Amino acid sequence: MFEQLKEIMATKFQLAPADIQPESTLKDLELDSLDVVELSLVLEKEFDIKITDDELAEAQQVGRIVELIQSRSATV
Amino acid sequence: MAADLIAVTGLGLVSPAGIGAPANWERVCAGEPTAERDPLLAGNPVDISCRVPDFHPAELLGARRARRFDRFTQLALVAAREAVVDARLDPGAWDGARVAVVFGCTQGGVATLEEQHRVLVDEAPTRVSPHLLPMELSNMVAGALSIELGAGGPSMAVATACASGTSAIGVARDLLALGRCDIAITGGSEAMITPLVMAGFAQMGALSSRTDDPKGASRPFDVDRDGFVAGEGAGVLVLERSSDARARRARTRALVAGFGASADAHHVTAPDPDGRGCERAIRAALADAGAAPDEVDHVNAHGTSTPLNDVTEARVLRRVFGERPLVTSTKGVTGHCLGAAGAVEAVLTVLAIEHGLVPPTANLVQLDPKIEVDVAVEPVPRRIDLALSNSFGFGGQNAVLAVRAA
Repeated sequence: MFEQLKEIMATKFQLAPADIQPESTLKDLELDSLDVVELSLVLEKEFDIKITDDELAEAQQVGRIVELIQSRSATV
Repeated sequence: MAADLIAVTGLGLVSPAGIGAPANWERVCAGEPTAERDPLLAGNPVDISCRVPDFHPAELLGARRARRFDRFTQLALVAAREAVVDARLDPGAWDGARVAVVFGCTQGGVATLEEQHRVLVDEAPTRVSPHLLPMELSNMVAGALSIELGAGGPSMAVATACASGTSAIGVARDLLALGRCDIAITGGSEAMITPLVMAGFAQMGALSSRTDDPKGASRPFDVDRDGFVAGEGAGVLVLERSSDARARRARTRALVAGFGASADAHHVTAPDPDGRGCERAIRAALADAGAAPDEVDHVNAHGTSTPLNDVTEARVLRRVFGERPLVTSTKGVTGHCLGAAGAVEAVLTVLAIEHGLVPPTANLVQLDPKIEVDVAVEPVPRRIDLALSNSFGFGGQNAVLAVRAA
């Protein structure tokens, strides 16, 4: 799942894949509030799960976002 | 009268004739048209356009930055960078609060708007990009440049349709003359060659329908002209008060001597057949420059290649100037860059003055007999002390710049 998220983020935001680590924060990756909304839309499209931009911003770390995705996917 | 002389100290240009002012000048002087069949317009009745060749935003601006901007802003960022470097200014060192950004633009990010409209219709409103508004608002070109350059002075977009670029330069000139800023980054940018916009222009009958001969389609002042070819691009000028430019030993490439603006107050798209509005703008620019008509050596005409514009404009030029100034329309090469046209042509006018060379009107094979002005058909060496750059927009909005040799 981490690898999948990494690939989505790298493509969507034109990030260097190496910069995306489980401990990287959205702030480290220089994603602003609009990018976080965009991330929420991409996750909905790719995984068919709803995680709001506020939840993503609160999670901050890529690793914790992976956990969020996994927990949401499991409950569907 | 202009309160103070305003110096042009930097130029930047991205147009269908190339990336960078020198490349543009070479192509424009070669009189080589840029119009081509446009695969992105496949299915449109008119599927030809003039696009900026080899413009790769990710390479020029970095992939991360490029994706946040619509093409009209990307074009402006590249042209502005060239202009600021050309002016030997350092945005890291200047007093940003005294730097203004004034940009002309007609449609803003219309390609982004159309793309997201498809998302709205085909998917759902909740799938529309949160970047839609920051990408498509027409003032964002000025906003993005202010951010990019750390320019915290007045920042705005000016819209007068196809006169926008010229109007913006006029507004910037006035801000400098009034002391509202010390440096102005000004010009125009446009990237509105989309299927929807082009369908609209085609339905009006404004476009050349010479789709089987794209290179010959934009033919200003020629008897066989039948409409314009849409172009895109961005032209940028760095303006400063002459006294400031001298104090920092900047190279003054030319002087913005005067600006005139007017409205036809006649019809939304058709020019006033007598051209009284255009004439008022020309005479206002001359008065502002403190110049008489017989001092004008060269006119970079609006010259869109539409039957109506060219004959009306030529009639006005004949009435105001007689036969003296050598007229050209660089749109034969670049096509009509719409809201950027005035800025593209202001840059070319400065280059014409510097080189002492009037560029040719491409595709002018047989002058329309109703046109009684001297039009350059090949590059003509000529000393140019004073030149005009004309722009006329839908809405009957006219803007004219008077540019003097430094």
